[in-house]
Amino acid sequence: MLDILNHLVYGFQIALLPINILYAFIGCLVGTIIGILPGIGPAGGMALLIPLTYGKEPASAIILLAGIYYGAMYGGSTTSILLNVPGEAASVVTTLDGYQMAKKGQAGPALFIAAIGSFIAGTIGIVLLMLIGPPLGRFALRFGPAESFALMIFGLSMVSSLAGRSLRKGLVSTTFGLMLATVGSDLPTGILRFTFGIPKFMEGFDIVVVAIGLFAVSEILTCTSEMQTGEFIREKVTGIWLSMKDFIYSLGAIFRGTFLGFFIGILPGAAHVTASFLSYTLEKRFSKNPERFGHGEIRGVAAPEAANNAAACGALIPLLTMGLPASAVTAVMYGALLMVGVRPSPFLFQKHPDVVWGLIASLYFGNVMLLILNLPLIPLWVKILSTPSRWLFPIVLVLSFVGVYSVNRSPLDLLTATTLGLLGYAMVKLDYPLAPVILGLVLGDLMEQALRQTLMISGGSLRIFLRSPIALTLFGLAAATIILPKILYRGTDKLDVET
Amino acid sequence: MGAERSGALIILLLGIGYLWEAFAMQVVSIGDPLGPKAFPIFLGALMSLLGISLLIKPEKGANARLFGKTSLGAIILAGILAVYGFGIEWIGYPIATVIFLLVATRILGERSWIIGMLLSMGLSIGVFALFTLVLDIRLPLGPIGEILK
Repeated sequence: MLDILNHLVYGFQIALLPINILYAFIGCLVGTIIGILPGIGPAGGMALLIPLTYGKEPASAIILLAGIYYGAMYGGSTTSILLNVPGEAASVVTTLDGYQMAKKGQAGPALFIAAIGSFIAGTIGIVLLMLIGPPLGRFALRFGPAESFALMIFGLSMVSSLAGRSLRKGLVSTTFGLMLATVGSDLPTGILRFTFGIPKFMEGFDIVVVAIGLFAVSEILTCTSEMQTGEFIREKVTGIWLSMKDFIYSLGAIFRGTFLGFFIGILPGAAHVTASFLSYTLEKRFSKNPERFGHGEIRGVAAPEAANNAAACGALIPLLTMGLPASAVTAVMYGALLMVGVRPSPFLFQKHPDVVWGLIASLYFGNVMLLILNLPLIPLWVKILSTPSRWLFPIVLVLSFVGVYSVNRSPLDLLTATTLGLLGYAMVKLDYPLAPVILGLVLGDLMEQALRQTLMISGGSLRIFLRSPIALTLFGLAAATIILPKILYRGTDKLDVET
Repeated sequence: MGAERSGALIILLLGIGYLWEAFAMQVVSIGDPLGPKAFPIFLGALMSLLGISLLIKPEKGANARLFGKTSLGAIILAGILAVYGFGIEWIGYPIATVIFLLVATRILGERSWIIGMLLSMGLSIGVFALFTLVLDIRLPLGPIGEILK
């Protein structure tokens, strides 16, 4: 314990060097801008800005990148709440209730709870990372493909059964997302699937393109049609600050989101996306008022935002303790470390304590800095909403399109986003939930590969799943989420699940 | 047939079409017991079953008005968006964006051409500056780029 404190003091000595404070600040600022702009997510933004780290001290370089990473996640929630524009897959969950709050004139409290939830989660996440990082890293090694597959099945069944009002429609959305994920060349065999001879389809569908099409474009199409029939209402802003009552009401959700997010974050795969989806659905599942979710429930913003940030801390564990990048973002960080001459390995803590502890200390520091940077901006963001819709909607479309275009520089992506916008419009009208499509698309590839790897290990026998208690538990939970609501709420509309 | 059942029919057709493509895949796989076909076949089958189920017994309480006048505005705007998407490469980002913003603000109810023009020019240049100067992401300039050269 004393050992850790000594290291932490050492870390702070590095992180609080004036030059490193400057790097942390630049990182947070650039990261926030990247997060606010649709299209470039945290991983893309970090990769884009790696050149900035050339020739810097290893500790400074990694502090800069960590700032960008954190800042991008903060910024991503801002546009999700204000405009229903998710900057990346994980902030899709934030749109569900955050945007509804904004529509009801509560954009301020929504932004506050997102910022404070992220801050609390980030802080606890870092403490957990320090205290129990190494032993947890070893536990994560027991998560083979069989266990990963089971976890993804659990996540998808939770989201299918709770995202919308109907289980069947939720399943349709999830399956559609998984189908989108199968388009493109199959990794292990190189076979082209569902590309219909279109070269563009070989790369598959980009998550950012789909998320912006389904959420941002479709929302504006919906609002446009409502404006013409006179149904469109945006309530006046009622308050900018978060009330103490709302804060205390959300605190439990923040803590639950933090712990869930942290532990899922350690696991390989698209952990922070799964974490934010799962924490949202669990919050809804165990809420006394599940019907409020999706209509501006503040806990529906607090929980996934906390989970997202805590998962970011958890994701650092495999990288720092074992030298394994388990997510896109940590893979970029891995590359950056290599470039500054640090080789991530199980001995990173011993060989480069300045990098590891400097990073941990700078995460603390970056968290505080982001809160200071973001809270004063909230009234400014809320002002954006008083822009007349006839100006605001075209502006959002332009920003979304430039963001989508910047991903692959392809006009076909813009056509895809528009088509998906129309599809999303139709899905909303017909009451099919949109969020499961995104989770399906994110997990589809990983899930199929995990299943195929499992069966390669076992030589084709499904019995391998029976030998893993972790996988069996997760399958059991998955079955329970589909079946239980039907039994428990038979005849009632408590969960709005139609039986 | 109401919108609810039409949706179910589209889901069923999507499922069958996808299943058809999945079965048609030519696959040789060694050392991979499942292969690239099995997962898509499962998805196609699941989608088809969901489509059939929703076709036979539609969800209660849905009152969708998908077609008709309400959707016209959305479809027009989507059409303009598609043209704008290709315009970014044809005539370059700045001109395409100015034209798109002029048309879109007009459709959404902006009466004054002068305000529309000012807004379109200002925004188009502002976004351009942000992406090229701050983030170093190049956007196509089109004919303007030729003139500048």
